[in-house]
Amino acid sequence: MDFLSNLQLGFSIAFTPFNLMMAVAGVTVGILIGALPGVGPPSGVAMLLPLTFGMDPTSGIIMLAALYAGTMYGGTITAVLINTPGESASVVTCLDGYQMALQGRAGAALGIAAIGSFIAGTVGVVLLMLVSPALAKWALSFGPPETFALMLLGLTTCTMLAGDDPLKGYISMVLGLMLAMVGYDIISGDARYGFGIPEMMDGVDFLPVAIGLFGLGEVLHGAEQAGKAQPATGRLRLRDVLPGMADWARCKWAIVRGTAMGFAVGVLPGAGPTVASFLAYTVEKRVAKEPEKFGKGEIKGVAGPESANNAAATGAMVPMLTLGIPGSATTAIMLGGLMMWGLRPGPMLFEKNPQFVWGLIASQYIANILLLILSTLFIPLFVRAVRIPYSILMPLIVVFCITGAYSLKNNVWDVGQMLVFGVIGYLMKKLGYSPAALVLALVLGPLAERALRQSLIISDAGVGIFFTRPISGVLMVLALLAVAVPVVRAFLRK
Amino acid sequence: MRSADRATAVFLFALSVAFAAGALKYYSWWGPGGPGSAFLPFCLGIVMALLALLLLFKSFRSSDTGSGWLPRGEGLRNMLVVLGATVLFVALLKTIGMILGTALYLTIMIRTLGRHPWWMTVAIAVAAAGFNWLIFVHWLRVPFPEMGIWIF
Repeated sequence: MDFLSNLQLGFSIAFTPFNLMMAVAGVTVGILIGALPGVGPPSGVAMLLPLTFGMDPTSGIIMLAALYAGTMYGGTITAVLINTPGESASVVTCLDGYQMALQGRAGAALGIAAIGSFIAGTVGVVLLMLVSPALAKWALSFGPPETFALMLLGLTTCTMLAGDDPLKGYISMVLGLMLAMVGYDIISGDARYGFGIPEMMDGVDFLPVAIGLFGLGEVLHGAEQAGKAQPATGRLRLRDVLPGMADWARCKWAIVRGTAMGFAVGVLPGAGPTVASFLAYTVEKRVAKEPEKFGKGEIKGVAGPESANNAAATGAMVPMLTLGIPGSATTAIMLGGLMMWGLRPGPMLFEKNPQFVWGLIASQYIANILLLILSTLFIPLFVRAVRIPYSILMPLIVVFCITGAYSLKNNVWDVGQMLVFGVIGYLMKKLGYSPAALVLALVLGPLAERALRQSLIISDAGVGIFFTRPISGVLMVLALLAVAVPVVRAFLRK
Repeated sequence: MRSADRATAVFLFALSVAFAAGALKYYSWWGPGGPGSAFLPFCLGIVMALLALLLLFKSFRSSDTGSGWLPRGEGLRNMLVVLGATVLFVALLKTIGMILGTALYLTIMIRTLGRHPWWMTVAIAVAAAGFNWLIFVHWLRVPFPEMGIWIF
């Protein structure tokens, strides 16, 4: 079968010593990044992306994907131990995880999260493997109108889910699109908004923007809180991390539900692990026989969301690989990486670069096993890392932001740009705007513009083309609904 | 928060009007057979202007009087120290070089923010600078800015 030979090809690539090493490095750094408050998956991927420039793209994506999986677990460590989510997908884990830690059951909470993550991640890869080729084949029939409608849907759903205030979400998104307009226009060759500065005429690169918004912006935000003390944590041994039979029996359905929902949410363009974990928590609470136990150290409140966020991180790869539409800020940065490596994301990726796609899929199996081993065996080590003082961590992150931005094109202009967006990111976070929506729009902007203009050329300037073709029509309606729902909800609230 | 929203709205409105007007003035609205390079920027400018007006309108209806969204005291000081030192580092990047600059920056920052012992501060700074050199210069062959005669 074609499928098995592809998988075999994938494993033969994933098992080369260098790629194995990259997977180990990715998972380890990922757990650390996830565990450290203030650096989340998008900043981790953005800061490590420059490291991959010297590598084969396959090794690069193997490292970044392993890192993404690692962050999902790493965030749990801080959520459980110090009640501070290491990244946003672990926010709900604080609710019951920290309560469990107070009751002396931190080990069980971390253990069930590790096993749930492993199961969800592995099932997620199986689903990714089964769904993606079919989706890619179907997407081959997409023309410019479908591509545009899909991108619009990705942008609007991401924005809808971005924060409390949809208006600020849309402002962030449109700002990202405006930034995407800077630089040479692919069709006419006009250097738009270049102001005669050569670096501007080349356009606004997403990487310095992403490093600035997520990396430096977070550091500046964290610097304010640096004076505040972090509570000490207890010691954890390996024995404590292995959940008992009773916990296991209690959680098995929560893990199954979390996996299923997480993957489905992850596949949707625009919704990622954070949404998945919130949804899983809500569902667990609703189906529970004793919902009053939630928030007081219910282990199912850890198992469900933690499984869901790992499944969603895997699911988010599906639209990125098959359609070229990222589902979250993190996959948006990965998608930008793909383009930098000279690959063209989209349905053709499966046909033109099978070694890339299948190498990634196979390495995800390995990454999940590594994640399980590292997260149980080395938990005491990671727990110590959590305690690195912010006053040491912050300057190190800044240094890494600067070197990362510089090594993109070896110029100081990009570093300056990173700095400017660091300040913008800080202000956005303070005032409730969404950096994720901005980065997503910046990455998708040029692709969306090309699809839009090609569509209008085909239709001879009629907007009807987006609505009369069945697939694009459905996608457009969904995209418009994503805009309309928050507006209507806001009106009803009054 | 309310005054910050108002300032943001006014800034974004001005920016987007200039953005849209600039698009029409300098680029072509309609090219051969389809929309030109001014088409989408103009539309985006208009959409942003409308969003900015909406934000302004909302800020007037909001009852939130907004007690300072900026940090105060030590928080503000820390934030400004980090920002200031980083700006200085970037400004001097070409003069002092990346590796030496990294070591200096880390020494100053770790010492100012945390009051950790000197030996620890220097050890971390040197280790991080060495790591940077190993990965970026030695392995990835990134031509970092160097300082004159220094091999860094």
